[in-house]
Amino acid sequence: MTGMTALAQQIMRAVRDRPQQFSEAVDAHRDVPWPQFLRAWGEVRALNRLERDEDGRYHLKDV
Amino acid sequence: MKKSLRDFLGELETAGELRVIQNTVDVRDVSALISQSKRALMFNSLSDYPGWRLCGGLLSTRKRLALAMGSSENEVAMRFEEGLGRAVDPVMVSEAPCQEVVRLGSDVDLAAIPYPLMHVLDGGPYISGTMVTSKDPEFGRNVGSYRLMYRTPTETGIDLVSPSDMRFYYQRRLDKGQSLDIAVAIGVHPYEMLAASFKAPIDSDEYAIAGGLHGEPIPLVKCKTVDLEVPADAEIVLEGEIIPIGWTADEGPFGEFSQISGDVKWNPIFRVKCITHRKDPILYFLQMPWENDWLCAPVTEAAGLLALRAASVKPVAIRAPVGSCGYWTLIASIRKRPGEGKNAVLALLSVSEVKLAIVTDEDINIHDPDDLDWALTFRVQADRDVIVVDGARGKHVDPSIRAWELGKGGLPTTAKLGIDATIPEGIPKKFYKRLRYYGEDRVKLEDFR
Repeated sequence: MTGMTALAQQIMRAVRDRPQQFSEAVDAHRDVPWPQFLRAWGEVRALNRLERDEDGRYHLKDV
Repeated sequence: MKKSLRDFLGELETAGELRVIQNTVDVRDVSALISQSKRALMFNSLSDYPGWRLCGGLLSTRKRLALAMGSSENEVAMRFEEGLGRAVDPVMVSEAPCQEVVRLGSDVDLAAIPYPLMHVLDGGPYISGTMVTSKDPEFGRNVGSYRLMYRTPTETGIDLVSPSDMRFYYQRRLDKGQSLDIAVAIGVHPYEMLAASFKAPIDSDEYAIAGGLHGEPIPLVKCKTVDLEVPADAEIVLEGEIIPIGWTADEGPFGEFSQISGDVKWNPIFRVKCITHRKDPILYFLQMPWENDWLCAPVTEAAGLLALRAASVKPVAIRAPVGSCGYWTLIASIRKRPGEGKNAVLALLSVSEVKLAIVTDEDINIHDPDDLDWALTFRVQADRDVIVVDGARGKHVDPSIRAWELGKGGLPTTAKLGIDATIPEGIPKKFYKRLRYYGEDRVKLEDFR
């Protein structure tokens, strides 16, 4: 997680702990300005470790 | 001068169909607010997006679509067909409002656009209501409408699951291990969106179709980084490439135009290399499913009219009901000669993924559900007047075709049902004489107090 913003790390930990819909990740960070959240989500995406379950929830691929 | 999105917004406001919100709104809340409004909405102030505005719900009713098309609600299909028949080639311009601001390199940041989150189960924020231009060296320019799911500040998912000319173009590039350049125009007049939605023959130019609808040429401008053209009066343009990874990246779910939440799909990725926009851009938020469905309806209806005319059948009226998302059902009344009820049914079933076609005589008002039921009740014998065709092309978002059983990139098939609800051959018309009230031509209720 070196180089990631604190917000991106926080999102990643949350997804690792429990698979969640995108909107759940958004709900947990309503206090964060939307552009900032989107950039942090992009950081998590760029790791190529996000996977989806059959209901569309995001979870973290083990490496 | 050709009408732009802003002209249409002005027309909506004049007609009392647009509400302007002055309070500052969080982009995460616009979807819920638009869904609660009977009118289209314009948000003049967005948190964290100074200088940006956002509009949505513009075409959530047939009334507003008819307003955009300058026709009555029951005549939008004829109006659309009329435009299709008189294509007007676009013209090139060198300067364009959509390029007042140009963002390249490290300035490319999709998070700097008020990218909306629409539905609870969506896989991410989405932009829909796009006009996507691509080119193939052999087949030329194509324009379609595709949704974009936010992934990173420079990447989106793009839904290329369904058969389309652009999917074909992308497949041809993919076979060579090459990317496909595209340009995405956002915030154009509804005529351009209708033209982009129409499944035109591969050698047709959707910009010329849009020009036909406007009755004047569409001004186009060259993109900054790709060899493509976009409408000069668009609000925002995204330029870039669909990278050659095939159908491998997760995309969706998205609140589909089928009015249900979709599934996770496997799609390619659009990499954005340049963003251009007006100095004071308005992001158009196409509210799913209603705006999509009302936009679909005239496109499906016009395709039905063309199919009927190609089958030498005379249509009187046509309707793609919103209950079928303006897409899966076509109901038409015709001026019938013997056998043409069946011909008309077969013609309508040939349109895209239409899976239910109903044909009546011209005395039936197909816009009145009770009149249609009456025809279905008394003019149909199931063993003679119902046609079922199996194994035709289907669409993934229809759960009844079990698309999840297909592999990545697989294409589904569907069964189609046609009902000939015209008066059967051999039954004299006298058996269908409607009731008339004694004296109805002689006395009028409004003359009495």
